[in-house]
Amino acid sequence: MELAVVFSGVGGQGVVVLSDIFCEAALLDGFDVAKAEIHGMAQRGASIVAHARIGEKIESPLIERGKADIVLGFEVLETARALPMLKKDGAVVVNTKYIPPNITLNAQPLTQEQLLNMIKTKAGAVHEVDGFGIATKLGNVLVVNTVLLGALSALPENPVKPESYKQAIAARLKEKYIDLNLKAFQLGQESVTLG
Amino acid sequence: MRSKIATDNPNSYLLLNGDEAAARGAVEAGVKVAASYPGTPATEILEALAEASKTFGIHVEWSINEIVAMEVAAGASMAGVRSIVSMKHVGLNVAADAAMTLAYTGVAGGMVIAVCDDPALHSSQNEQDTRYFALHSNLPLLDAANPQEALDMTREAFKISETLQLPVIVRLTTRVAHSKARVKISSINQNLRKAEFDKDAARWVMVPSNAIKRHRVLKSKLQEAAKIANTSKFNVVEDNGKQIGIIGSGVGYYYARSILDTKKFSWLKLGFVHPFPTELVRQFASKVKEIIILEELRPFIESNIQFLHRPFLGKDLLGLDEVGEFNPDVVREAFAKLGLCEKAEKLEALALPPRPPVLCPGCPHRAFYYALNTVRQFVNCDPEKCSGCDICEYICSFEKEKTFNPIKSRIRAVRLDPLSNMAVTCRTCKDAPCVAACPEDALEQSVENGTITVDEDKCNGCGWCITACQYGALTIHPETKKAMVCDTCEGDPKCVQWCPERALSFGGETEDKIVTGDIGCYTLGFMPPVNTLQTCLCMGAGISQAAGMFHAGVKDKIFAVIGDSTFFHAGMPGLLNIAYNKANVCVIILDNHVVAMTGHQPTPGSGRNLLGEQTKEIRLEDIAKSLGIEKVEVVDPYDVKATTKILREILDYPGPSVIIARRPCPLSIEKGPAREVLEECDACGLCVEAFGCPAISIPSKRAEIDPTLCYGCGVCETICPAKAIRSTG
Repeated sequence: MELAVVFSGVGGQGVVVLSDIFCEAALLDGFDVAKAEIHGMAQRGASIVAHARIGEKIESPLIERGKADIVLGFEVLETARALPMLKKDGAVVVNTKYIPPNITLNAQPLTQEQLLNMIKTKAGAVHEVDGFGIATKLGNVLVVNTVLLGALSALPENPVKPESYKQAIAARLKEKYIDLNLKAFQLGQESVTLG
Repeated sequence: MRSKIATDNPNSYLLLNGDEAAARGAVEAGVKVAASYPGTPATEILEALAEASKTFGIHVEWSINEIVAMEVAAGASMAGVRSIVSMKHVGLNVAADAAMTLAYTGVAGGMVIAVCDDPALHSSQNEQDTRYFALHSNLPLLDAANPQEALDMTREAFKISETLQLPVIVRLTTRVAHSKARVKISSINQNLRKAEFDKDAARWVMVPSNAIKRHRVLKSKLQEAAKIANTSKFNVVEDNGKQIGIIGSGVGYYYARSILDTKKFSWLKLGFVHPFPTELVRQFASKVKEIIILEELRPFIESNIQFLHRPFLGKDLLGLDEVGEFNPDVVREAFAKLGLCEKAEKLEALALPPRPPVLCPGCPHRAFYYALNTVRQFVNCDPEKCSGCDICEYICSFEKEKTFNPIKSRIRAVRLDPLSNMAVTCRTCKDAPCVAACPEDALEQSVENGTITVDEDKCNGCGWCITACQYGALTIHPETKKAMVCDTCEGDPKCVQWCPERALSFGGETEDKIVTGDIGCYTLGFMPPVNTLQTCLCMGAGISQAAGMFHAGVKDKIFAVIGDSTFFHAGMPGLLNIAYNKANVCVIILDNHVVAMTGHQPTPGSGRNLLGEQTKEIRLEDIAKSLGIEKVEVVDPYDVKATTKILREILDYPGPSVIIARRPCPLSIEKGPAREVLEECDACGLCVEAFGCPAISIPSKRAEIDPTLCYGCGVCETICPAKAIRSTG
């Protein structure tokens, strides 16, 4: 069995950290793991993509176009950008937040609704997660990515055990943030399982 | 610091990227000294070693630049201990002088040169292939294609280095350095070599008589190295008895293996690529009918395999490029063309707006660039486009006087000669002659943007200013009899908006100044909407390129922008050179106290070292003065007004000068309270189009600031013409 996940977002949203935790969790479950990411020229604000593949034996970290089982989008435009990676009927977890790109006045920006429609047309199953809303309720907008990880863990095609994620989260974070993040993880899971 | 790579649990697995894995390899080999200069994608090698340094007693340092790092590592190795120097590919150019002759002296303790190439230039200025540096320098090279190889090769490279008494290059690429994978670790060698320097002048003093002998020694070492390469465990044969043999190195090899049915081919993975394992390749080739060669960047294996005198399928025939990096899609396409795998399904690309790298919200560089861009802006006319239609005059009179009457316009269309028209208006001259000519002191020039304002209570309509202005930009109002002059509509000139021929533009920034750039976050200042920088070549080049332009005789004022760390790395010789050779260049050092682009490593100016320990804080202004620069100014770039004032002063300064724009990188300190937009906003667009802050957008009739993106620098608040932005704190 093999699972290929594309993580797509904006620099500063935690794309790299989240894909790391996903891989650490898979490693705990005994999978072979390979992931790739690009640290570009900007510290914040550019498109960031990470590829992660888990399975019995993984030789290459990059996923082919049209072969990703899941796209996990941190924001709607970047989710749409990653769609060509998704296999037919693949699943999308999308944080419904929209961060408009910094463009000149002449260009017609797409609306959040247009982008979400684009995603729904292309993907098999779309799980919309109000990560920003959930994180705000928890009192810390920075846990959006943990909410998304919770959602990812709840997808039926994902074989990694939820317990392994929790262990990986605990290993990665400072102690005072662990409880908050475990709560965020749980709310993320529920956002998928409860629809 | 919790160190991932310090685990003493042999045969267990860790999730490591290629850099961390190389660092672990060095720890397993018992490395004692590690030096580097930050550079993507190599930075994390030293960072990982730093985290493990206390546990294993390793000296780690961010050296000032790569050649210094190379020499530090060389010195440690000459003293008998194991050392590693790490850098990105272009860093090896900086270190090349040392490396070339280090090949002659050789080393005592094992020394590894870990170099990360960047195919596809994810974060670099070129795509050079370090395998050719190995060829050039005669140094052995191991080519890692995944994190496990990075670990194993680095560990082994120390042994090879000691066997040959030569530094060994371990090459990674971005897709290795920044890929993470499950990596099996081994035990740590508590290699306790004593630090002792063997004073052997014939070996260490590279004067011609000694060096020529050492050159011969080097050549014989290479023959020995070739023997090791031919039997190296990093050159892996998988002989499936098939007709087609695939020879590859780098990540492309593994892309191919995950796409093709591996059993249908015979495989040779080359890891020890220089000296080239000729014998091994000959044997492999003799067992297959067809050879396919798969390698990123330049055709290194292809050029080494010519000795077979056999046809093969290389880049040309596979349709693969020397430019850019491989990925599974292009590799599949190449093999599908040969009928060796299925074609990929056609996928339509989505038309989406790009999200290119930008300067972060709150970046002090942006604020400085804004000041530099607006230091002298005026409405400019291109006579080639101007049709003399006078629309600018109507628009101006309507904007300012609510009447369509060209006599009341602040801009005038004139016939230059029988063949061309031109619109003229105030050019915000340095030390404006109109201001000096006014006997009533009625004219004043703004220190911020150079525009002229007329105090109508003082102006008596004498017209001296009109005589003084060589552009004919001032006129007298027909009714009030007071002087009139363009105020640029507060930086948003309406005549420019309405010019039907697009002959008018608002700028001047490229017209009267040249701004050379350098390497760092601030290079992004070349991009729209900032558009400040006009060059970027290599570390430290901007200052000397500016000097060359000055000596060539360009008339414009020349600014050279460089970051603090780049200045320490490679800018000091250039600065000394402009002082010594008298170039009228203003060097702007953007001092944010860190190497921001590679992840906030400390600089000599930050007063702390890699381990966070206190060290001597080197002051940029002291360096500038001691290098012979008499005019040195320090500004706070967030204070756009004060910065602009200094810049206007420098425009007139006739000699070499330095401006230090000092503000810590906002990502390295706490966020301030976010800004918000008030009702007064008229969506003029200055904050988005001229300033270019990515936290601000204009979704409809009013600008909006995203509170999660805003860093609270408050610069937008100070430049907003409508005073429509305030702090939420």
